[in-house]
Amino acid sequence: MEQFKQKFIEEANDLIQDLESSCLILSSEPDNQAHVETIFRAMHSLKGGSAMFGFDMIDACTHQLETAYDMVRSGAMKVDDKLLDISFKVIDHVKDLLEENDNLSESTLQNHSQLLIKISEIVNVDDSKTKDPEHSSSSAEETYDNDINTYYIKFVPNRDIFRNGTNPLLIINELVSLGENKVYSFVSEIPVFEKIDATHCYTHWVVLLATNATKEDIQEVFMFVDVDCEVEINNLGSNLSIKEADLIEIDSEYENGADLTADLILSHLEPIVKSESISDNIEVEEKKNNIKNHSISSIRVSSEKLDELINLVSELVTRQASLSLLAENLDHKDLNPISEDIDKISRRLRDSTFSIRLIPIENMVTRFRRLVRELSADFDKNIDFITEGTDTELDKSIIEGLLEPIMHIIRNNIDHGLESVKERKALGKPENGTILLKAFYSGANVYIQLSDDGRGIDVEKIRRKGINLGHIPEDAAMSDKEILDMIFLPGFSTTTKVTSVSGRGVGMDIVKRKVTELKGEVSIDTEKDVGTTMTIKLPLTLSIIDGLLVMIDDTHYVIPLATARKCFDFSHKDLTNAVNNLIYIDDHHIPFANLRTEFGINTEPPEREQIVAIEYNGSDFGLAIDHIVGEYQAVLKSLGSMYRDQEIISGATILGDGTVALVLDPHKIISQFKFDKGSKE
Amino acid sequence: MAKKILIVDDSDSIREVVNFTLENEGFDVLVGVDGQDALKFLNGDKIDLLITDLHMPNMNGIELIKEVRKMDVYKMIPILFLTTESQTEKKMEAKNAGATGWIIKPFVPAKLIGAINKVLA
Amino acid sequence: MIDSNNNQSDVGTYLTFEMNEETFAINVSKVLNILEMQKITWVPRARDYMKGVINLRGAVLPVVDLRIKFGLPIKEDSVDTSIIVLSIIKEEEEVLLGSIVDGVREVLEIKDDSIVASPVIGTRYNSELTTGMLQVDDKFITILDIDKVFSINDVVEYKEQSTTETLEK
Repeated sequence: MEQFKQKFIEEANDLIQDLESSCLILSSEPDNQAHVETIFRAMHSLKGGSAMFGFDMIDACTHQLETAYDMVRSGAMKVDDKLLDISFKVIDHVKDLLEENDNLSESTLQNHSQLLIKISEIVNVDDSKTKDPEHSSSSAEETYDNDINTYYIKFVPNRDIFRNGTNPLLIINELVSLGENKVYSFVSEIPVFEKIDATHCYTHWVVLLATNATKEDIQEVFMFVDVDCEVEINNLGSNLSIKEADLIEIDSEYENGADLTADLILSHLEPIVKSESISDNIEVEEKKNNIKNHSISSIRVSSEKLDELINLVSELVTRQASLSLLAENLDHKDLNPISEDIDKISRRLRDSTFSIRLIPIENMVTRFRRLVRELSADFDKNIDFITEGTDTELDKSIIEGLLEPIMHIIRNNIDHGLESVKERKALGKPENGTILLKAFYSGANVYIQLSDDGRGIDVEKIRRKGINLGHIPEDAAMSDKEILDMIFLPGFSTTTKVTSVSGRGVGMDIVKRKVTELKGEVSIDTEKDVGTTMTIKLPLTLSIIDGLLVMIDDTHYVIPLATARKCFDFSHKDLTNAVNNLIYIDDHHIPFANLRTEFGINTEPPEREQIVAIEYNGSDFGLAIDHIVGEYQAVLKSLGSMYRDQEIISGATILGDGTVALVLDPHKIISQFKFDKGSKE
Repeated sequence: MAKKILIVDDSDSIREVVNFTLENEGFDVLVGVDGQDALKFLNGDKIDLLITDLHMPNMNGIELIKEVRKMDVYKMIPILFLTTESQTEKKMEAKNAGATGWIIKPFVPAKLIGAINKVLA
Repeated sequence: MIDSNNNQSDVGTYLTFEMNEETFAINVSKVLNILEMQKITWVPRARDYMKGVINLRGAVLPVVDLRIKFGLPIKEDSVDTSIIVLSIIKEEEEVLLGSIVDGVREVLEIKDDSIVASPVIGTRYNSELTTGMLQVDDKFITILDIDKVFSINDVVEYKEQSTTETLEK
């Protein structure tokens, strides 16, 4: 069951996303019927799945809300802030429940009971409706009862029961198989022969059954026919004998044509205890299920399948490279064009396969909208959140990694950037502050910009802070941009007061770190009283990198081109004679590391070695390697958990000949290099 | 020969759980994600039992059953609903469309198998 | 592959292989593939027994040398030297890895009751890493608990007591 549970969790998370965005739309368009439908459906699916996979608490609260939205559908209820607030709370709660799974925290449990009370206040449903008659009611009262009980079962098939292919006798047979029994059949309604319609059923039955089966078990017998008949099941009590000798009185009542009701039978048996009459005729609810079917324009594919596809495609492309090489060498006049065609197709196939992993930024915008909605209430600021270009696509893993930094930026915009309504009025700005999220492509990169029209960042204030914190000297000549960049230094925060929002212990340094982890860059622009813009620049995907293929000893390595600036040729002697690992390149002395030494390779080095200059913290750092093979577009693959301690390797890629090349992380190599030598100086 | 069962549900997890349960019982299982998707299976090898969800995009369970019952070969096959709906009204609608019976979610595998054996017997 | 529970008495299917003239066995459910020895891309700054990575159908597969991990002498690669592709559970995650051994022998069906517990004294290998021993003709086969072997990151402790004569029960 576990593997399905995982699947359900994924599915549930998608449903939650639908719920969130539809709830948000309802908050501005409360009459949007289509989104009420979406919410109802999502709640319904969540309910079904959660009950199935043991998330009973999700079942409980979604069931309640489903009822609420059903009432909205039927017009019995209106969408208001109260309902939306509780919906958002339930959404968050369901997220918690999914995440915590079996290890529910104290706060989640508390939250749960509080939520249920709140929902019921809003929904104000009477109990009979919230209880699901099919399971919750009967199981609670019946299952612990292991005694033999005597049941009175009256089975009155509808006239046309045969039409559905049901044979009532089979049902009687199934009933009597459950225990000791007595069956009375009533045929008085059979008309005179000429008037008999052979397709009609005129008979009904009363069965007395002494069994240890529960009422639920008995109901199960009627599971497929309960709309084709009337069924009455009464538990007459335990320890009632239905042996022939004890039924003589009932038999004679039957012979006399009496209607054998439960009460009548009970009066002839040992008169013991309660008779609870639970009719199986479930109250018909007035519901119109006119669910509109909106068609889905996308399908869900498991990421494993996707990875497998990407693997196969990259294998195809690398093998294709060998084929091209072979065709070129053979110079066969028929083979060459075919190889070229296949080459083109393979590349297109690769590009479109990789694009499958790309999802529109729209997917995370919902979260931001909610954040803005919540924070504008918290800060009592009026904010318009505007988005542009949210159909811009990015690798799913990048989008996931961006959530936290962007949410932090938005918090900062609202907390520090935007002024209060009063201040804005005084400045002659519109009352509502604006936060603009803009995404667009440029070259092989995606840019995401977050702008506010607030007070802007006071550069002078940052400069003074930098001096006070000892980051820069008093008389430092720095551009505004350089000063602003200090915001990304750890521990650099410009507010003196800690607010509930930005006081969460994360600063802009975290934003910078997260974006860097995604191989992206973040920059900042600001103008006093006009606003602040944060720009995040990201690669399109993490799975393909443009690299420089190099060799050290007999192993191929890939150095990402994004970091490599230039290459220089040196003799081995030049490198060994260098003082303090500094070498003279382009009128500068730059530090370098010989990767042979770094990797502990002891074989004989070649006479001439190459230095690849890597841009590191604004200056150059050289990495010495044996020789450069050429540029290479690498499909990045993980080295897996067995090699997770090798931080200097960011992954591997498969070369045309099928061997593996390692993709280096030059920044990690350099930072670890500095660390090693630092103690010696 | 193993009986062929077609499951139609828009929920991946439910579909997989049913698929897993039935394959373990030795049934031959086909899966469809909605009514429209299911129809394409019905034109292939003859199936012995159809199990379908009620609420699905594109073509819901009721519409699907109506379509199925129109086909000559499928006039008589058993059709079960797998649904969270337990109101009589829904059941009646399903019956009238041609359903044989229903299984209410959540279900335990034994109950599912029991219901299936009942209609395949 | 043979279904492991089609019989009334419990029979396990094992792949046997050789390292340093000794025979070992691993449950076949752990074995995905057997590959010929091939060029392995060395990964810098890793433990000695981590030999590097190879390309397994487009995925990158880490390869370990089980002989180094067990502190056994390394024979020069021969036509028999093989890489067994294993699926192990490490820190509750499924991990695929290749393991170099001197040679792969055969697939054996072994009844559970013919496996004896490894004697705590006298066995060369940490008894926690084995599920038991098995005698076939006059040879002993050590059945490895491969998940446990790789749950330890260091070279596995190699006990000093010398072997087979103390094995009779």
